[in-house]
Amino acid sequence: MQDLLNAATLGSIYLLFTLGMALAWGTIGILNFAHGATFMFSAFVAHVLSRETPLPFLAAVAISVVVGALMSVATQVLAFQQIIKRAKSQHHAELRILIGGIGVAAIPLAIAQRETKSSPFGINSDYTATVFEFAGLRLSSTALVILIAGLGIGIGLTVWLRRSRQGLALRALGVDAETSAGMGVNRQVMAIGTMAVAGALAGLAGALLTFHLSAIAPETGDQLIIKAFAIVVLGGLGSMAGAVIGSYVLAGTETLVLVAGHGTWVDAVSFGLIFLILLVRPQGLLGRKEVRRT
Amino acid sequence: MNDWYLSNIVLVQSTFTTLLLALSVQIPMRMGVFSFAGIGAYGIGGYVAAMCMVHREWTTVPAIVAGTLAAGIATFLLGLVVQRLTGLYMGMATIAFTLIVAVLAVNGGEWTGGASGLFGALGDITTGLIIGCAVVVVVLLQFTEMGGLGRRIDTVREDPELANAMGINVARYRRLSFLASGLVGGLAGALVTLLRSTITPDLVNFHLVVLALTVIVVGGSGSWIGALIGSLIFVWLPTWLVFIGEWEEIVYGVIVALAAIFLPSGVLGVAKNLWHRFRTRDERARLKAGGGTPAGETGDAGGRGLVPSVEGEA
Amino acid sequence: MRGTRIRRTVLASLAATALLSTAACGGSSSGSGGDGGIADEIKVVAVRDHTGPVAYAGLGGAKGTELAVEEINSSGFLGDGVKLVVDEVDSAGEIERASSEMTKAMSDRDVVAILGPTQGAQAASVAPLVERQKVPTIFTQSGSEGVVIGDWTFRATAPMQAYYDIAMKKLADDGVKTVSVLYNATFATFAELGEDVVPELAEENGIEIVSSDSVQSTTQDFTGQTQSIAKSDPDAVVMLLIAPQSVTALGQLRQAGYDKQVMATSVQAAGNVSAAGAAAHGLMYPVDYSTAMDHPEAQAFATAFQEKFGEEPDPYAAEGYDGTWWLARAIKASGDSSREGIQEGLTQVAEEGFTGAMGDITFEGNDMRVPGVVVQWDGTTESLTD
Repeated sequence: MQDLLNAATLGSIYLLFTLGMALAWGTIGILNFAHGATFMFSAFVAHVLSRETPLPFLAAVAISVVVGALMSVATQVLAFQQIIKRAKSQHHAELRILIGGIGVAAIPLAIAQRETKSSPFGINSDYTATVFEFAGLRLSSTALVILIAGLGIGIGLTVWLRRSRQGLALRALGVDAETSAGMGVNRQVMAIGTMAVAGALAGLAGALLTFHLSAIAPETGDQLIIKAFAIVVLGGLGSMAGAVIGSYVLAGTETLVLVAGHGTWVDAVSFGLIFLILLVRPQGLLGRKEVRRT
Repeated sequence: MNDWYLSNIVLVQSTFTTLLLALSVQIPMRMGVFSFAGIGAYGIGGYVAAMCMVHREWTTVPAIVAGTLAAGIATFLLGLVVQRLTGLYMGMATIAFTLIVAVLAVNGGEWTGGASGLFGALGDITTGLIIGCAVVVVVLLQFTEMGGLGRRIDTVREDPELANAMGINVARYRRLSFLASGLVGGLAGALVTLLRSTITPDLVNFHLVVLALTVIVVGGSGSWIGALIGSLIFVWLPTWLVFIGEWEEIVYGVIVALAAIFLPSGVLGVAKNLWHRFRTRDERARLKAGGGTPAGETGDAGGRGLVPSVEGEA
Repeated sequence: MRGTRIRRTVLASLAATALLSTAACGGSSSGSGGDGGIADEIKVVAVRDHTGPVAYAGLGGAKGTELAVEEINSSGFLGDGVKLVVDEVDSAGEIERASSEMTKAMSDRDVVAILGPTQGAQAASVAPLVERQKVPTIFTQSGSEGVVIGDWTFRATAPMQAYYDIAMKKLADDGVKTVSVLYNATFATFAELGEDVVPELAEENGIEIVSSDSVQSTTQDFTGQTQSIAKSDPDAVVMLLIAPQSVTALGQLRQAGYDKQVMATSVQAAGNVSAAGAAAHGLMYPVDYSTAMDHPEAQAFATAFQEKFGEEPDPYAAEGYDGTWWLARAIKASGDSSREGIQEGLTQVAEEGFTGAMGDITFEGNDMRVPGVVVQWDGTTESLTD
């Protein structure tokens, strides 16, 4: 039972991190490889600001969220939009957006590595996690926040995308950008807005995870990116609900393997599982079905 | 000259092995198959070659051959299994394959040396051998870029339905691309491992995938020449940037980002563009003087018009 | 179009053939003269990670070396007006870079010795080259196999496995009877410690291992493992994890309600665990050097380092310092600053041993051995435990 709770917490961590990537990718079609660096650097800025005086929990989170949003918007305006402008079609832009993101990601990573000499860094705060015990189960307050935030935002975003007008506009952009633009959807504005939200989510994940783990290293973001990538593919491109389900499935699998005592096989089993699912459902769990006649 | 060569020998060797690694991803990409299995093949080739040398005391060439073949077969089988996947789903599945190879290496106990990996597999590899292998692969690739075969491959990539309609067995081309990428990737892995005399599980990782992809996109994804240009740039960049010292990583990131923004077809695309403009300079000057658009070009600014932008020059 | 393609292929093949022939001409050359005597300027190259994931090891080592060089030159240890010059080069955490820089250094005939890479994989990869080119190379850190493989490879850091026995003995002395092991099995040194060395030592010391959890380097969250450890409540926990993992595991162990002794590794040295805050109070770990060490050489080193750099030295600095002094003693012992002379000198000094910042240093072949010390961390400083 405790394992289930731990798996849920881990799943929420993955979900918080993945949501930003899934949102941008599923709607405006931008696979932002700088997402991991944004996540890490937002927490890093909170760390730097907290060096002299401890920051309260909410302040640290707020700083992280703002930094994350700013970073993603900057990346969108300075890099991705430039690529899209010069590309002949969305398809050709995709690969270059990928590489552009990789290039951009190196910059905050290098800065953080220099400053910390690659030692782990945390956020200096008066907040310490209290541990709740109920029915024989243990849960830290940070984990609780992560659980609520992850599930809440995940489900909230899914519903918003389905029900609201802007959500509809975003999903339309994801399906066919040109036609949507023709129907009056302001592509640039929606893109910047989406990236801002995605970046804010990255920052939120950064702060919360740093509190939960006590510290992260500059390389932590890159480790999570590959998991986020796997989750989005597993859940199906374009489906937020898929990302939610995918996060918990991945976390559940990893926890299962760990509990069974095979700690060194975790990556193999999780990626093997994704591999198998892709074979059975080539478009992911809830992805758009692509018709392919060859 | 000899001194410069000797002190930079590692970089020279690295250029060609990186070329092979990049080609293992570029080959399937040219056929429209978004597969990173070549990196996994790199790991398999490296480990098999090292195992042959360390456990069975084979000599260099048989070990390399064993590594290359093992990787080729494994990747071919993988290709059979995943051939229905497309785009980023295929990419993810092949990345999963690569990461699983790394985990198998860690858990391989005595066979693979576990977490420490294998060491002491010092092959008798001269730079000549590496360049020779690269030349052979490149020459073979060149034949696939020319003439009818080249056009068929372009069609398979750009319009698989049309290709099928024309009687080209698209599925067979795709399967073969897996085999080719496995062989080339395995060769790269075997060469590098026996050259460095060591291989560890964490050498087969996502960073290699990123490196191969960056090399291809920045250099130019249409041809082996692009991969060569990309390899030259990324292997020698740290040497050129050495005066920047600790800001090297940042400059590297900026260069990659700028290349992604401003060089749509990579450095190769720019080079081809310049070459084309150079070759047609007389005609363009003449036409400018006389007015009217040059023959053979549409009104497009880049002069490419309806030609597919991933290089498939006819 | 076809003609152009064929022309290009031919040109490429010709270029390759040209390169092939220069490759055939390439060959290695032996070291410098070897006519005995100490040169006025002794050129040494140091190849370490100044950037990258384990930059702190290379940067610390470089500082230690810098201090040693200053002391050696200003005291005229090698003779009047003799200068030892060390060029620092960054291997940036990559094997290819390390290989490349090492090759460059080795092909420079003026370079008589190399202070080698700190990462195990880099070191193991260049060790055969060092042997081939016959350039005496002193490695620091790089505690894996395949590094000290011949007459020309030397290591100035005792591998963790070589002195971890003091940690297990300390636990036994403190009355510990049961232990849980939490270790990173994809990190070579910890894998060896966790799977072989610690179980062996535990048996020797009458300690029972009640549970052993292995994780990967990519594992970030330890909620599950720490909770199950807390449940079984052993007398102590042996934690063999890399820096960021250690911080998380410590915090989550305390959160899970476990409040007994945790024994870690030298990775935690030099405040690498300070981000864990209060959770790390009382943490113990064996280390080859600590500012808490009280023998005169350690104190002198710490004072000089503090004076020069305005900060306290870490184990990496001590290793760099002692390693460089090993080199200086070698040159003095053989009276010859050529590559062969240094190699002879290093072997000679290794047979005799010497006292450095890390205490009474002995050698097993070309591999350094130190007494080591178990220290305790109280949140800001290390202190000796006996």
